[in-house]
Amino acid sequence: MAANQANKLFSSLKLKGFFASRMPVADEITLEQRSTYILPTKAGLMMFGVIILMMVGATNYQNNLAFLLTFLIVGIGLVSTIFTFRNLQGLAVKRGNIDSVCADQTLAVTVHLNSQSKMDHLTIGIGFDKKSLFYCDVSATEGASISIPYKTTKRGWLSLPRIMATSSFPFGLLKVWTWFKFVSPVLIYPKPIEPPAAADSIGTDNEQGDNKASGNDDLYGLKSYQPGEPLSRIDWKAHARERGVFTKEFVSYQSSDLLFDWDNYQATEPELRLSYLTYLVIQASHNNLEYGLNLPGNRVPQSSGERHLNNCLKALALHGLE
Amino acid sequence: MISNSVSAIDYQNRPFNLLPVLIAQQLTLIPLYFFIPIWISALSIAVAITVYFTQVRGSWSLPTWVKVLITLAAAVGVLLSFQRLSGRDAGVALIAVMYALKVIEIKSHRDIYVLMNLGFFILLAGFLFNQSPLIAGYQFVPVAAILNALTANHSLTQTSRIMHRSLGQTLKQLSKYLLLALPLMVVLFVFFPRLSGPIWKMPGGASATSGVSDTMSPGAISSLQLFDKVAFRVKFDGREPQGNDIYWRTLVLDEFDGLTWSRHNGRFEKPIKSITSSQQPDGKAELLSNENTFSYDISLEATRQEWLTFLDRPIDTPRRSRLFKDYSVRFDYRLVDRTRYKGVSNIRLPLDLSLSDVERQEMTAIPASGNSRSRNWAQETRSQSIDDREFIMAILRRINQQEYFYTLAPPIMEQDIVDSFWFDEQVGFCEHYAGALVYLARAAGVPARVVVGYQGAEKNPLSNYWIVRYANAHAWTEIWFKGEGWVRIDPTAAIAPHRVEEQLQLDYNQRDSLFDDFGFAAVDLNEISWHKEFQYWMDRANTGWNDWVLDYSQGSQKLLLKGLGLDNFSVKQVSLLMISILAVFLAVIALKWLRQTNNGDSIEQSFVIMCRKLEKANYPLNKGEGVMGFLSRLDNVNSSASSGASSNTSSRAERINPESLKALRRTLERYIFLRYKLSDITENQQKDFRRQVKALKIRTSEAKPTEH
Repeated sequence: MAANQANKLFSSLKLKGFFASRMPVADEITLEQRSTYILPTKAGLMMFGVIILMMVGATNYQNNLAFLLTFLIVGIGLVSTIFTFRNLQGLAVKRGNIDSVCADQTLAVTVHLNSQSKMDHLTIGIGFDKKSLFYCDVSATEGASISIPYKTTKRGWLSLPRIMATSSFPFGLLKVWTWFKFVSPVLIYPKPIEPPAAADSIGTDNEQGDNKASGNDDLYGLKSYQPGEPLSRIDWKAHARERGVFTKEFVSYQSSDLLFDWDNYQATEPELRLSYLTYLVIQASHNNLEYGLNLPGNRVPQSSGERHLNNCLKALALHGLE
Repeated sequence: MISNSVSAIDYQNRPFNLLPVLIAQQLTLIPLYFFIPIWISALSIAVAITVYFTQVRGSWSLPTWVKVLITLAAAVGVLLSFQRLSGRDAGVALIAVMYALKVIEIKSHRDIYVLMNLGFFILLAGFLFNQSPLIAGYQFVPVAAILNALTANHSLTQTSRIMHRSLGQTLKQLSKYLLLALPLMVVLFVFFPRLSGPIWKMPGGASATSGVSDTMSPGAISSLQLFDKVAFRVKFDGREPQGNDIYWRTLVLDEFDGLTWSRHNGRFEKPIKSITSSQQPDGKAELLSNENTFSYDISLEATRQEWLTFLDRPIDTPRRSRLFKDYSVRFDYRLVDRTRYKGVSNIRLPLDLSLSDVERQEMTAIPASGNSRSRNWAQETRSQSIDDREFIMAILRRINQQEYFYTLAPPIMEQDIVDSFWFDEQVGFCEHYAGALVYLARAAGVPARVVVGYQGAEKNPLSNYWIVRYANAHAWTEIWFKGEGWVRIDPTAAIAPHRVEEQLQLDYNQRDSLFDDFGFAAVDLNEISWHKEFQYWMDRANTGWNDWVLDYSQGSQKLLLKGLGLDNFSVKQVSLLMISILAVFLAVIALKWLRQTNNGDSIEQSFVIMCRKLEKANYPLNKGEGVMGFLSRLDNVNSSASSGASSNTSSRAERINPESLKALRRTLERYIFLRYKLSDITENQQKDFRRQVKALKIRTSEAKPTEH
C-alpha cells in the first residue's frame, strides 16, 4: 500500500518533470511537436457525438453508404489532428523589446511570430493563460507581432511567466497548445508614490530639509501658465478643478544640484521610501532637471537625460535585491 | 510594429461568415430535395436566401414566438403531407425541414457548429432513399462545403489579409483534406467490426422465381413461379444424350448454415485446369470418340451472373472462363447479354475418386445444432444399412413410399428446416428434397453436396436444337461413394408420380416455341469486341459496387479477411490491425509534413551547402566577404597560381580546375541573381538551384604548395 502510494507519487513527479522538461525556455523559440499538446474542443466533442449517432444509424439500417460517410467523417477527424498540429508547428516566437514599467502598471509583452515552415499560420492565439488570449494570423513571408499585457505587481527583475501559443485552426474541432518561456527578465521599477509634502525630499548636497519648501508647497509651487512653458509642467489637477491653468513651479527649479536621498524619509518603511524616490526621480526627469540619487551603498551622481533616469530607476528597482 | 491582433473577447464575438454556412447547408439538403415534398425544398431555399440577404443588409432577428410559430407550422405541414410524423419518409421530411429552418436562429458560433455537425446526419438520411454510386460520390461535395464553412468561421476574416483565398486555392485545400481522409475511410470500412444486423433487403415478399442462383434457402420460399422464359438453347454436334442424362450443371452448393446452402469457398477459390486443354489435341479427339462425350453449342440468355452452364461434367471450357474443382465454370465477367459458347461434356466422367481429409470434413459438415430429429434418424438409418449406397437408397425409398409430395407452394419453414420438411410437412420442391438428402447424408458421415442447374430440355420441333427454360431449373445432389467418386442422385425423381401436382404437369406441356430460334444474335465468347469488353467491365464495376459496397456485411467482411489469410483473427485482432494501419498512415503523413518545418529559405540553405563544399575544397568564404568579393579573389588566386606566383590571400595555392571553376562561377552568379535581383523566387527556381548546388563538384588540380 505504502509502496503503491510512493509509486504514484514518483510517477506524478516524473510526469511533472516530463512536462517541465518539454517546455522550451529561451528568447527565440521554434515551436515543435515534442512540446505541443492536443485535445478536442467542445465542437470536436459534439462531432464525436454525431459520429456515434451516425454509427448507430448506419448499423440500424445496415446501410453501407451511411457507414462510408461515417468513416469519412472519422477520417477527416483523424487527419485534422495533423492539420491542426501543423498550424502551430514551425512557428518561431521571439521576445520583442519590452519597455520597463513601474510596479502595478501593465507591461506590454511583445512577441514576434515568424513562420519557419513556408506556410501561413492562421488564427494563432498567444497569451499568459487561455482566458486572455490574443489572436493573429502569421503570414509566411511577413510574420506578425503581437503585444500581450501583463499586470506587474512588484519591483525588481520580473521573470516573465510561461506563455501559451494555441490554435484550433482549421476546423475548430481540436485545439493544440504549447507553452514556452522567455528567459530574459524584465526590470520593473518601484511604484511611484507622491511623498507627503511635510517630508519633501528636495534638498541640496549641503543643506538637508530646506525650510522654505516645507509647509505650503502649493502656494510656492504654482504660477500662472505662460504660453511656451512645457505642458508637462501644467498642474492638471488644478486645471481639472477649474481653478485655471497653472504650472507647477518647483522650488528646486532654481537649484541645480538636486539629490534625492534615502535618508530623507527616516520613519518610513523601505518599500515606501523607494516609491517616494521613484516618484521624485520621474518628476525631476519630466522637468528636465539635474538630479542625483543617494541610496545606501549606491550613489548615482547628478545628471540628467533618459539614460540617467533609467540608471536611477534601475538602482531603485534593484535596491536591496541584489 | 504590432500587427492587428484580436483579443479573446473580440474573437469570441467575431462576426459570422454566413455565406459558406448557407452554401454547405443547401448542398447537404440537395439529395433530399428529390425525395421530400416540394414545398419543403422551396421553403428551405427561400429561408436560406432570406437569411443571407438580411445578414448582408445588417442585423435583423425574428422574435422568438415567430420562430416557434414557423417551426410549428412546418411540422404541421409535414403532418398534413404524410398524415403522420413517424416512418422513414415523414421522419426524414421532418428533420429536413427543421434543418432548413435552423439557419434563422444562428446567434453564436456554437449554432454554426451545431448546424454543420447535424449536416452530416442529414447526408446520412439521404442514403435511406438512394444508394447509387452517383450520390455516394456526391457526398464529398457537401462534406467539403461543411469543412469550408467551419474553416471560414474559424478564421480572423476581418483582420486578415491572408485568409482571402481564391476559390481555386480553397478547393485545392479542401480536396487535400478529403484525399487524406479517403484511405482512412476505406480502411475503416473494410476492417471496422460489423454487427450482424438485419441484412438489407429490398422490399418484396418471400416469393421466388425459378432459375439458378448461387444460394438456396428452400425454407424461406412460399411459392415458386415457373417461368417459361428460355434459359438457354443447345445445339449438339452429332450425337444427343438421352433424357435421363440431361442434367445441366451450373453450380455446386456445399455449405449449409442451417437455413441457406451456399458456395463454400466463395470467390477466393482457385480454378483447376480443364481435363482436356487445347495443348492436347489428341486427347480431345480421343475423348470425343467416347460414347459418353458430347460436344455442343450453348446460347445462354443473359443471367447477370458469371456462371456458365454445361451438360453435367464439362471437360472443356471456353476461353476466359475457369473450371473449378467442383466442376462449376465461371466466366471473367457477368453475362449481361445472350452469350454463345462451345462445351464438351462427358456424362459419365468420374469425379474425385479420392477425397482428402479436409475435403471429406468439408463435405460432411453440418451446423453443430438444430435438426436433431433428422440427425438422429440419419445416424440410425445408416447404422442399419450395409454401406453408404444402401443408406442413400433407404432414404430414396422413404421418399418414394411415404407421403412425400412435390409442390410449388410449400409452407414456409423457419427453424430446423430439414426436420420440419422431412418429418412434418413432407411437401416441397427440388430444393427441399436435395437439401434434405444432403443434410441426412452428411449427418451420417457420407460426403454429399447440392448441385444446381437445369434438368431436361425440349427439342424444338421445327429445328435441330434444344430449349431449356427457367422452369427447368433444378437442384439435385451428388453423393460421394468409395471407388465411384461423386455420383449424381436426384431425390426429386424418387417421388411417386401420382404425388406430383397435376397443375404442374399441365404447365409443362403447354408451350409454344414456334417462333424460337437458336440463331438469335448472341455474343460469342470466343470473339469479344473491345466495346463489349468495356460493357462487361462497366457491368462488373456496377456489380462490384453492389457486392462490395452496398452489400458489404459481416459475411463479406469475413470472406475478405479469409481471402487475406486473416480468417483466424478475432474481432479484437482485426480491430487492432485496423488501428495499426490507421496509426501508421497518420504517422507517415505527420512525419512527412511536420519535418518540413525548418526549411526556411531554401536558396540560403543551398548556399550553405555550397559554402561547406568550398570549405572542403579549402576555399572557404571569409567572414564578411561578399559573394562578389569571393569571385574576384577566386580569379586572382587562380591566375596567380597559374602564373606561378604565390598569392597573398591564400597560402594554400591549390588551383580549382577550370571545369569546376566554370561551374562554380555559374552557380555563384545564379545565386547572386536569385538572391539580389529577383523579388519573388518560385519553388521551381529554388529546387533548380538546389540541384545545381548538389551537382557542383569542386576539384582542385595539383599545384606545388608554396611554403613561406
